[in-house]
Amino acid sequence: MGVFKRYLVAGALALAAVGLAGQASAQQRVEVQFWHAMGGVLGERVAEIVKRFNASQSKYTVVETNKGNYDEVINGVIAAYRAKKHPQLVQIYERGFMTMLLSGAIVPVQDLLTEKKKAIDWADLVKPVASYYQYKGKLMSMPFNSSTPILWFNKEHFEKAGFSGPADTWQEFEQQLYTIRTKGISECGSALANDYFWSLIENYSIINDQPFGTKANGYDGLDTEFVYNKTKVVGQVTRLKKWVDDGVMQIAGQGLNPEQLFTSGKCSTFFASTAAHGSVEREAKIKWSATFMPHEQGIAAHNSTIGGATIWTLKGHKSEEYDGVAEFLSFVASPDLQVWWHKVTGYVPITNKAYQVAKAEGYYKDNPTREIAILQLNRGTQTENTRGFHFGNFTQTTFALREELESVFAKKKTPQQALDDSVRRGNDILRQFEKLNAGKY
Amino acid sequence: MVGLKRAHYRETRLPMLLLLPQLLVLLLFFFIPAVRALSQAFVITDAFGTSVQFVWFDNFHRLFLSPEYRSAAWITLWFTLVQNILTIVVAGALAFATDRVIRLRGLYRSIVLLPYAIAPVIAGILWAFLFNPSVGPVAHVLKAVGIAWDPNRSGFDAFLLVTLAASWKHICYDYIFLVAALLAVPPSLLEAAAVDGAGPWLRFRRIALPMIGPTVFFLVTMNFVYGFFETFAIIDAVTHGGPGGATMILVYKVYLDGFVHIDLGSSAAQSVLLMIFAIGLTLLQFRYADRRINYDV
Repeated sequence: MGVFKRYLVAGALALAAVGLAGQASAQQRVEVQFWHAMGGVLGERVAEIVKRFNASQSKYTVVETNKGNYDEVINGVIAAYRAKKHPQLVQIYERGFMTMLLSGAIVPVQDLLTEKKKAIDWADLVKPVASYYQYKGKLMSMPFNSSTPILWFNKEHFEKAGFSGPADTWQEFEQQLYTIRTKGISECGSALANDYFWSLIENYSIINDQPFGTKANGYDGLDTEFVYNKTKVVGQVTRLKKWVDDGVMQIAGQGLNPEQLFTSGKCSTFFASTAAHGSVEREAKIKWSATFMPHEQGIAAHNSTIGGATIWTLKGHKSEEYDGVAEFLSFVASPDLQVWWHKVTGYVPITNKAYQVAKAEGYYKDNPTREIAILQLNRGTQTENTRGFHFGNFTQTTFALREELESVFAKKKTPQQALDDSVRRGNDILRQFEKLNAGKY
Repeated sequence: MVGLKRAHYRETRLPMLLLLPQLLVLLLFFFIPAVRALSQAFVITDAFGTSVQFVWFDNFHRLFLSPEYRSAAWITLWFTLVQNILTIVVAGALAFATDRVIRLRGLYRSIVLLPYAIAPVIAGILWAFLFNPSVGPVAHVLKAVGIAWDPNRSGFDAFLLVTLAASWKHICYDYIFLVAALLAVPPSLLEAAAVDGAGPWLRFRRIALPMIGPTVFFLVTMNFVYGFFETFAIIDAVTHGGPGGATMILVYKVYLDGFVHIDLGSSAAQSVLLMIFAIGLTLLQFRYADRRINYDV
C-alpha cells in the first residue's frame, strides 16, 4: 500500500499540474479500460452497463473489451501487465483469487473506494460473496457476476412419479431418481454438468459443513492441505459413480451441452448454476422448476458457495483514472444496476439491499426460482468450512480433482483411490504455491 | 554435389542474403522462444512475474517424479506410433489404389484430399459429434451392433477416437506425397514384372516400395512431428486430454500447465523435454532408418 499511496500523491500532483496547464483540455474524458470474459448475450449486457455508465456522467469513458474466456482473460492480462500495457480493470474468475491477491499487481478495491470516498456499505454485501473475496476482513476485488448451483428439475417427471418435487436430502433424492427410472418415466435421472466439480463436490462440501482443506479452507495460511479424501466427499463421489454406472446420471461429453439433455426433457434433473436461468428460460421445451441443493441426512444445510468472477483493479495507472475506476465500480454496486443485472442474467445481486429492492417489487412472486440462489447463499451461519476457498493455484488443483474423478467414472480407480491421488497432486501444487509466495499471505 | 555448389556460389554474401529471410523467421519464431523456454525452465515464477526464484532442476525433478507426466509421455509415444502407422498404411493403400481407379479418378482424389482443407478444430468437433454416445450417428450404429462405446468415460475409446481423428486428418498429406512418389516409379519396371507374373501386392512390395523408400522415410518423420505438435487442436476439440488423462499428450499438457494453470516454470521445463524428446526420436530415425533407405534409384 505504501507504494500505492505514494503513487496517489504523485498522481494528485500531476493532476494539479495538468489542471493548471491546460484548462482547454479539461473537457476531455478520462479513459478507463475494462477487460472482461463475457461473450454472447452476457457480453451485450456488459456493454450495456458500460454504456449506461458513460451516459450517466461526463468525466470518464469506460471502454469494455471482451478478451475471450476466463482463461484467456487472465493470461491476456498477465502478458499485458508484463509488457506494462495492462488495463485498469479486469474481470477474473473466482479461482484466480489467490493468484491475483498475491500478484503484487493489484489495488484492493475496498482501499481504493475508501480512498476515493466512494465507499459502499461493505457490511451489506451478500455474505458468501463477500467472504470469498475478502482478505483480512477487507474486500479485495469488486464482486461482479456471482452465481451458485441450484437443482433444476422437470416438474412433469416428478409429478408422474408421485412426488411434489425433489427431496431435501441426498438419500431421499436418490430414491426418487431411481423410482422415476423404474417407473419408466425417464431413463436419465440427471445430466452431469460440465462444472459438476463445483456444484456436486465443492458446494457439496460447503453445504454439508465439511472441511475441504485445513487452515479453514486456506483462509488461515498458505500451508493449507486438502483433506476432502477423508470427509463425506468420498461418499458423495461413490454415490455419483453409482448413478453413472446405473445410467441414472448421464455424461454429455464433448460436442454436446449437458444443459440440452435437461431442457429437451431427456434427463429429469440438472445440477447447475442459477445463472443458467437465461438459457433455460429460452431453450426449455418442458415444464421446469428449480429448488435448493440437497444435503446429507442428519446434517443441517449450510450456505452454498459462489462461482463467477470479480473485477480487479490493477496497479500502475494515473490517479484520475482511478477516480474513474472508483466511480464505475460504485456504479456497478449500486442497487438499481444490481437489480437489473440480476433480472437479465440470473446472477445473484451482490448486496442485500438490491435483493430487498427486487423482493419489494414482487419480482420473486413471478419468478420464484430466481430467489433460490440468494436464499441458499444466506442460509445458516457461516463456519470455517463454509466461507469459501482460498487455495493457491486453484485452477490447477481443481483440474487434478476433475481428472481423478474422470478415472472414477472410467472405472480405473475407486472413489477413495482417486480422491487420495487428487489430494496428493493438489497438495504438491499447493506446496509449490506456498514456496513461491512464502511470507506474502 | 559439392562441386556444383562451389561452381555456382563463389562468394558467400549472396547465399547468406538469400537465406536471411528464412533465418530471421527461425530466429524470431524458434530460437528466441526456445532460449526463453530454456531460461524459464529453471525458475519458478508467479503469474505476473513479480517474484522469480531460481530453482535449478527442480521443475524437471518434479516432472520425473510425477506419475501424470510419465503417463502423458507414454500416451504420446503410443499415440504418435499408432497414428503414424495407421496414416502411412492407409495413405499407401489409397495411393496405390489411385492407379487402379480408372473412372472418376479426379473425384476419388478430391475425396481423399478433402480432409486436408478442414481446419483441425472443425475436424475434431466433427469427430466428437459423430462419436458422441448420446447424439452421434456413428455411436448409434456402434450401439446397434452391440459395441459399448463411450469416449467420455472410457479412456481407451477416447484414445482410439483421437488417434483415428488425427490420422484421418493427416492421411491426405501422406497421400499426396505417396501418389507423386508412385508416379515416379518407371512403369516399364512394373509392366515387366507383371508380364513375369507378379501380382499387384508383389509388384508393390518388391518394386514400388523400395523405390519410394525416401518418401516413406520423410513421411514417417513428418508424421511424428505432426503427432507430437500439430494434433493439439484435435485433442482440444475432442477430449481436452481426458477422460482421466487418457488422451493427455505432452504438447497438450504444456499448453494446459502453461496457459490454463499458469505454472510457467513447469510448462517451460516440459517444452524443453518435449523438444529433446522430438529431436532424439528424429535423430534415432535418421540413424537407423536412413541407412536402409536407398536414395540412388
